[in-house]
Amino acid sequence: MTAIPPLELTHFQAFLLFAVVISVTFGFLGRRRPKDRVKYILWSLFLFLLVGIGVGWAMFPFSR
Amino acid sequence: MEEQSPNNTPAQITSAPPARDLAAPGESRAIAFGFAGWLVPGLGHALQMMWGRALVVFLAVGLLVFAGASMKGNVFTRQGSDAFDTLGYIADLGTGSFYFFARAIESNGADVSHADGDYGTRLLATAGVLNLLAALHAYEAARGHKA
Repeated sequence: MTAIPPLELTHFQAFLLFAVVISVTFGFLGRRRPKDRVKYILWSLFLFLLVGIGVGWAMFPFSR
Repeated sequence: MEEQSPNNTPAQITSAPPARDLAAPGESRAIAFGFAGWLVPGLGHALQMMWGRALVVFLAVGLLVFAGASMKGNVFTRQGSDAFDTLGYIADLGTGSFYFFARAIESNGADVSHADGDYGTRLLATAGVLNLLAALHAYEAARGHKA
């Protein structure tokens, strides 16, 4: 098979891709009703972003 | 010996077969669904008519594998040099048949000298672990546990 063109994502884009995919999958697997799924997905995504960005800022003083 | 007890009539003996024998067909079916879910992401749920979950698992694992391989992440092989390579191989194998898809589209090899390649390696491992979780979910759903 021919090699596909390389995909270049920033750190944040890769992190966002991870967070969205995991949140949606967990929402569908963990909840049955559509309304519950949407609530779970949004809350999970929010927490992913909050913790990810929070840890990023916490590491900032040690980055140089 | 149970058969020699005077209180055990033939009716009592035949009406109480071991619980394991009754559960065996359902357990085998659940294991088959779990295995199918590991082999082809989402198949374990599709066989149980859980179409939404099947589609989401298939697309999620497929997207993560495609993105990881496109970012030149490391698709580990059996010839790992240390424990981390072995763990990476186990995680990558979690994607089932998609492991070979990742190997096929990453024909130019991995490049973890840049951050993209490192992110790609993590996305591939995530896809594998996510698929293992989904296969376990399909197994539990087939056993009748609330899911």
